[in-house]
Amino acid sequence: MAEGRVSETPTRDPLEPRPLIEGAQSPESLTGSLLRPIERGPGRVWWALFFLTLGGTGLFAAAIAVTLVRGIGAWGNNIPVAWAFGIIDFVWWIGFGHAGTLISAILVLFQQKWRASVNRFAEAMTLFAVMQAGLFPMLHLGRPWVFYWLVPYPSTLRVWPQFKSALPWDMLAITTYFTVSLLFWYLGLLPDLAAARDRAPTPRRQFWYGLFSLGWTGSARHWHHWRTGYLLLAALATPLVLSVHTIVSFDFAIAQVPGWHSTIFPPYFVAGAIFSGIALVLTLLLPVRGPLGLHHVITDKHVDILTKLLLATGLMVSYGYLQEHFFAWYSGDEYEMAAYAFKRTGTWGWLFWLQMFTNVLVPHLFWFSKLRTNLVVVWFAALAVDIGMWLERFTIIVPSLAHDFLPRSWEHYSPTWVDFGLLFGSMGFFGLLFLLFLKFIPPVPISEVKELHHDLKEALEEKERRERTESPLREKEA
Amino acid sequence: MRYWVVGEFGSGDEVKKALRRLRELGYAKETLDAFSPYPVEGLEEVLELKPSPLRGFAFVAGLMGAAFGYGVQWWTNAVDWPLNVGNRPPHAGPAFVPITFEMMVLFAALTLFLGLMWLYRFPRPHHPLFELESFRTASTGGFWVSVTTERREETEPVLRHLRGLAARNTSVVEEKE
Repeated sequence: MAEGRVSETPTRDPLEPRPLIEGAQSPESLTGSLLRPIERGPGRVWWALFFLTLGGTGLFAAAIAVTLVRGIGAWGNNIPVAWAFGIIDFVWWIGFGHAGTLISAILVLFQQKWRASVNRFAEAMTLFAVMQAGLFPMLHLGRPWVFYWLVPYPSTLRVWPQFKSALPWDMLAITTYFTVSLLFWYLGLLPDLAAARDRAPTPRRQFWYGLFSLGWTGSARHWHHWRTGYLLLAALATPLVLSVHTIVSFDFAIAQVPGWHSTIFPPYFVAGAIFSGIALVLTLLLPVRGPLGLHHVITDKHVDILTKLLLATGLMVSYGYLQEHFFAWYSGDEYEMAAYAFKRTGTWGWLFWLQMFTNVLVPHLFWFSKLRTNLVVVWFAALAVDIGMWLERFTIIVPSLAHDFLPRSWEHYSPTWVDFGLLFGSMGFFGLLFLLFLKFIPPVPISEVKELHHDLKEALEEKERRERTESPLREKEA
Repeated sequence: MRYWVVGEFGSGDEVKKALRRLRELGYAKETLDAFSPYPVEGLEEVLELKPSPLRGFAFVAGLMGAAFGYGVQWWTNAVDWPLNVGNRPPHAGPAFVPITFEMMVLFAALTLFLGLMWLYRFPRPHHPLFELESFRTASTGGFWVSVTTERREETEPVLRHLRGLAARNTSVVEEKE
């Protein structure tokens, strides 16, 4: 099989753009190399990570059990800090999801071809992150077993949910987001599951991939509807993703708490979400592309583009920070100004300045092309942003609540082990789902990469043809 | 009883050329189909496929979803059991917008997916062409053209035409009812 990556030749023209697909490839070789991660048995590293994340999931289950048995009192929450880790983790996780939909849906509409090899990966990340996110508001309800009271069903209670509250908005936004992301992901997956079925080494695999590919044949009539459906789902997912984090920001913006009640929140939250999501894509993508043998389809060009996006969204987030503090000062409102002053210099001021370092300063590394392709720098910078975005939610939520209007109601906040158990446990659960994804589902969209490969080849042939016809003319002119 | 006469080609362009030629030879467009690992640009025109009805389905479903979302909020909070919270109006239009929007997207997206399943008649894990071992390439790297006929004696001339168009791997598959 003519597969594998061709090392860069020293004579390469530096003005030539970096390739999106490296090496001499054919549809067959691409299918083979992109199916290898799921056809190969799990390695030792996979098992080690699997047990590590399984342990994390156990911690998550234990922390949830304690929360259910002892109630919210097991958390560090108090009055006035009634929202703390539960909502911080919720916003953090759901923010990560946004890059997946950006890469998969918004870039489809903009016809950005490079997305082909990273979109499956980013969408899986979205689904798993939304799954974590959805658990936190539910646990924070206090009595999660009656969460279905949020659904307007005719019950003996006779009281309906209160739709002027942000809680039903959140529930609808999260469930819709999860459903639409899942459908979009699955629709893109059908042709690849069919490829996995047709190359399955064992009958058992053939059976399961055959079942989940639903009978995909690749008929021109099916592709015709598929393209319409996929494009329309992308068109629906685009406003949806912007709406989800807008609704999340309403949780804060429609409250009167100083430091929350601001019109900048929706756009600033959306930018922050995409920023953190791109950082997480980079954090996860860089370590796995080597072991999975995906260097030829996820090239330095992809890393380069993603880091540029990180820089662009980082600038938007920085602008949001600036405006937030400016609004507080310009409003002339004492409480607003006091809330922001407390955020900068109060008990948790050091977290605020750490956040400024990771979210405002670190992205500026990527003005330099040398640093954009230095994978170690990129990975640590992305990790810093992941952490920084958690800190951002902490500094939005906790200081504002701890110091609101009346000094007599001010209270310190400190988290308990259950809070940390839920945070790190959810990371374990996320990691577990992600490892299973890498093992059972083609991590790179095979049919889209093959289409991209075909388009690139055609474009190259066209270019060569033009050069051949133009060069005699030029010689004549000379 | 139906017969599928299939042949493999090297690229999407060859498939388009072959289908165009088969259309010129007088085959009805309903009997022709192509199978490829990724969508081939321009096949819709060759097979004269109508724009997908999904667009209409999604539009109607989206409107219905929005109406349903708004309607439920209005009826439950303003009509059936007016709930006074902080003296806000029970029929609070702006506050109903987020859920109305989400329901529009949810209805349209579900309709798109279920509509596709209905158009495809999926799930249908088995297809007569899956009997053909060489047809496995249709999802990995091969481009196939199929012609369906009702009678066995019609398959011979079709095979000859496909071979004349330089198809590799030609076969006939019988579909049992």
